[in-house]
Amino acid sequence: MVRIYVIDNGGQWTHREWRTLRDLDVDTKIVPNTTDFQELYSEEIDGLVLSGGAPRIGLTNRLGKCGEYLEKADFPILGICAGHQFMARFFGGEVKPSKIPEFGKIELTLLREDEEIFEGVTKKSIVWESHNDEVIVLPKKFLLLAESENCKIQAMRHKGKPLYGLQFHPEVEHTAYGEQIFKNFANLCKK
Amino acid sequence: MFDAEKFIEKTIDTLQTEIKGRALIAFSGGVDSTCSAVLANKAIGDRLIAVHVDTGYMRKNESINVKKMMEELSLNHRFIDASQEFYNALKDVKDPEKKRKIIGGNFIRIFERVAEKEGIEYLIQGTIAPDWIESGNHLRDTIKSHHNVGGLPENMKLKLVEPLREIYKDEVRKVARVLGLKISERQPFPGPGLAIRIIGEATPERTDVVREACYIVENEIEHAVDKGLMEKPWQYFAVLLPVRTVGVHGDKRAYGNIIAVRAVQSIDAMTCAYSDIPQEVLDGISTKITNTLGNKINRIVYDITNKPPSTVEWE
Repeated sequence: MVRIYVIDNGGQWTHREWRTLRDLDVDTKIVPNTTDFQELYSEEIDGLVLSGGAPRIGLTNRLGKCGEYLEKADFPILGICAGHQFMARFFGGEVKPSKIPEFGKIELTLLREDEEIFEGVTKKSIVWESHNDEVIVLPKKFLLLAESENCKIQAMRHKGKPLYGLQFHPEVEHTAYGEQIFKNFANLCKK
Repeated sequence: MFDAEKFIEKTIDTLQTEIKGRALIAFSGGVDSTCSAVLANKAIGDRLIAVHVDTGYMRKNESINVKKMMEELSLNHRFIDASQEFYNALKDVKDPEKKRKIIGGNFIRIFERVAEKEGIEYLIQGTIAPDWIESGNHLRDTIKSHHNVGGLPENMKLKLVEPLREIYKDEVRKVARVLGLKISERQPFPGPGLAIRIIGEATPERTDVVREACYIVENEIEHAVDKGLMEKPWQYFAVLLPVRTVGVHGDKRAYGNIIAVRAVQSIDAMTCAYSDIPQEVLDGISTKITNTLGNKINRIVYDITNKPPSTVEWE
């Protein structure tokens, strides 16, 4: 059984991330973002999800111990919303308040083919959003994977490490391929 | 995947260990509290007392039906009409968070009175995951204080037991189906009831108006669903806006309030899309409400926002 923990950054949908993983028969648990990396590591996890949350990454650069996880992890990490923004900032990208914040239903367009995290997802699909900030400059070592009309950096991945960031929310029911994306992430964690 | 049968088995076990003395269950008659009551009844039997409070903000005929249901389920039960107490407590209160907290506090005081009289130590509630998530804590922002979580007073004497805390409504429904409960598919109704379907002060007069409007919306939509005209929404109701707009009634000027119709699709209330109601059904709702409540209401609007950015209930 693959073991993926969810780091709780205070999001409304943290528990939904846990639920989606549990529904996929992943061994999962919600842990506070104040947990030491060593403690996570000693539990032999295969991957980590950094949840979203109310913290404004566009205004401050704090998200518990998420920086420590990104620095030390040798397993895959999926950053969602604030988790994604923090990941971008941590690796030298830029995050600012959105000119046009997105809430609710948005059309996502994939920009690259054959990306494992988006396996089985159509080029255009409906995703659900809820953000005030966004990544406006991609970190150097990252590739851009998806965009929407009003937010050009909707998904990214590290070129050399298994680190993924999503601005939209794959964990909610209304995101068309949400569960598929979690399934893909779980498969990446099995490797 | 969520396994309802295993969940039932485990929960009954846990309740048996956790509850040493007598317990009361806050029984609204909805899916969550009914499931909790039946599970607790299986776990501790006679030591359980179901308490239904008529807050005065219940839907049409609701409390009478709940009373019947408590009898059908052979629950030890108490029925408390606290309408006047709630109306008094909400006099002049307009802020939605204040309303929710006052209602939450009132519920607990009533339960404490029953508990003291009957030697009860535990309060069982049908709290589910979105209730505590949206109520917020040191880490999470408060979207709204659900009466059974964020509305609880700090100095509560009863020990709280929440068997459904980690699961969502679609999972509770699975449990309800396995338990054979006829209310398994019933639409959610918030604990603060019609009080949060009235923007501004929830007076008894306004409550009567929104109660009738909710009744019409429910009936019209349920008929349309039965006829196969539309998919059953997750939740469907009316909201009273005490804003006045101009109309015309029999060649005379009218100046009445607005009813907003709300219907959404969801599985867990954490995200929602507004429902696609056919034109003819909207037509029926509009005409019925304005004809029935003509002297009070002369404009009907349909709420076309998703969650986010909005929420299901307006307050």
